[in-house]
Amino acid sequence: MSKQERILADLAKGVLELDENLTVTTAKEAVEEKLDAYTAINDGLVAGMNEAGRLYEEEEYFVPELLLASDSLYAGLEILTPHLPKDEEGEKAKVVIGVVQGDTHDIGKNLVKIMLEVGGFEVIDLGRDIPAEAFVAKAKEVKAQIIGLSTLMTTTMPQMEKVVRLLEEEGLKDSVKVLVGGGPVSHAYAKNIGADGYADNATNAVRVAKGLLGIQVEDAIA
Amino acid sequence: MTLLNPKQRLLNVLENKPVDRPPVICPGGMMNSAIVEVMKNTGITLPEAHQDADLMARLARVIQQYTGFENFGLPFCMTVEAEVFGSTIDMGTLECEPKIAKERFPDSGSVVYEDVETLLQQGRIATVAEAASKLASDFPDIPVLASLTGPVSLAASIVDPIPFLKDLRRNPEAAHRVMDYATRFLIGFVRLLSQHGVSAITFGDPTATGEILGPKMFKEYAVPYLHRVVAGAHEAGLPAIVHICGDLSPVKALLPEIGADAISTDALINLRKLKEALPGINTMGNVSTYLLEFGPKEKISEVTKRLVKEGIDIISPACGLSTSSPIEHIRAMTEAVRS
Repeated sequence: MSKQERILADLAKGVLELDENLTVTTAKEAVEEKLDAYTAINDGLVAGMNEAGRLYEEEEYFVPELLLASDSLYAGLEILTPHLPKDEEGEKAKVVIGVVQGDTHDIGKNLVKIMLEVGGFEVIDLGRDIPAEAFVAKAKEVKAQIIGLSTLMTTTMPQMEKVVRLLEEEGLKDSVKVLVGGGPVSHAYAKNIGADGYADNATNAVRVAKGLLGIQVEDAIA
Repeated sequence: MTLLNPKQRLLNVLENKPVDRPPVICPGGMMNSAIVEVMKNTGITLPEAHQDADLMARLARVIQQYTGFENFGLPFCMTVEAEVFGSTIDMGTLECEPKIAKERFPDSGSVVYEDVETLLQQGRIATVAEAASKLASDFPDIPVLASLTGPVSLAASIVDPIPFLKDLRRNPEAAHRVMDYATRFLIGFVRLLSQHGVSAITFGDPTATGEILGPKMFKEYAVPYLHRVVAGAHEAGLPAIVHICGDLSPVKALLPEIGADAISTDALINLRKLKEALPGINTMGNVSTYLLEFGPKEKISEVTKRLVKEGIDIISPACGLSTSSPIEHIRAMTEAVRS
């Protein structure tokens, strides 16, 4: 195994095995060794996160593991991102994401955000308890292609429909796709309110988001 | 068999004694039935009734009358416990239930521990107890259910849930200490409620799901503390129901260890199969809350009757009801059980 291969393997391992120290040490080593930052991110960190996502789908990993893997990922990114050549930061598809008004449960939303970023999207996270108007305003401002809405509570589900109606009123329904998810939300509900997509977990959210845009987005965070 | 009143029927089921038919209930707390239509019809409204014992009792009574549920369910939110621990609560509106605006502590390691008995004298603890007392003395035949926040969810309401979930792995000692704190408090709360005419306790623990925690963490954190609060209820002379959200398949085999008198589940669980898999366990549920909101009522009636026919022990909504669910839809469910 070459030195570069070992570094990439350790970056992936640091994320996959939730070992933030290993990721940070190895990311610094990658910088010292002048390893291409783009390669280090994609073949190291992102590869590890994708593997963690796979284990999550296979029910080997659950939410605590995925959160710690992402902490490790972001710790590595913080070190490597400043070393990226400017011209490789191409235009990425934008997703405005948040938990709808009345709800503060943001575990699921945070997971979706992480996996969307790993999947190559630029994610604008509005946080939790967000009014419908704020989603639409932000989507217009940043020219987002997708609005991602999450809720864990049945009582706040009507807020999702409100976002869809607002987009219709503003004539944006075709240009901005709405992706919904969360505990009580179902495919049937998504269809019922006129949302464009529904995903039952964070890794599927990436597939559905890519499907909605009909584009191939590289597995690249950079 | 002599005709059972609603309280005897529910207690019989929970004590594994014979009944004429399953009770149809809505436990309160995260699964409360304070729907907008009842509040608009009666003028007894939230958020006021969250903070006033008399209004809380009156709202529980009119809900029971309008919906046909065979119990009173208190309180109407899952923030009573977190509030006394110092988390910031947004009391919500008529349509929208209270929520935690900000958890008191940023992570498990920074929790400041207070005396549980002192906490039990604060916030809306006495409001809930007083409302329960009123209902129990005015309507002795109808069971008063108190629905509390389960220990994992309570811990994740005191500590910011994202760091708390990470702490389960990276700082288990601190996480266990918070869990123990939440558990001791809940046992005290249950003991207090047992002195105020409550007939049974429900623990709703939406953070403690197989999907979020996975079987390993569920076994380490959910099972032992849920077991302790259930045992605490039993010591206080009360049966205990535990509601598990989401897909419980990954943790199904662990459920008997909790020792609950009934397990309530979400709509996606096939209760008939769960009953087959775990024959010693009473099952409760699980009419889809989506169906209860959107209907049609014929379908609600059909689904409910199927659950009764399959021998499900207690019929109830599968999760938290949408506050915009119409009375007519809830009645279709409760009447289907009685027909």
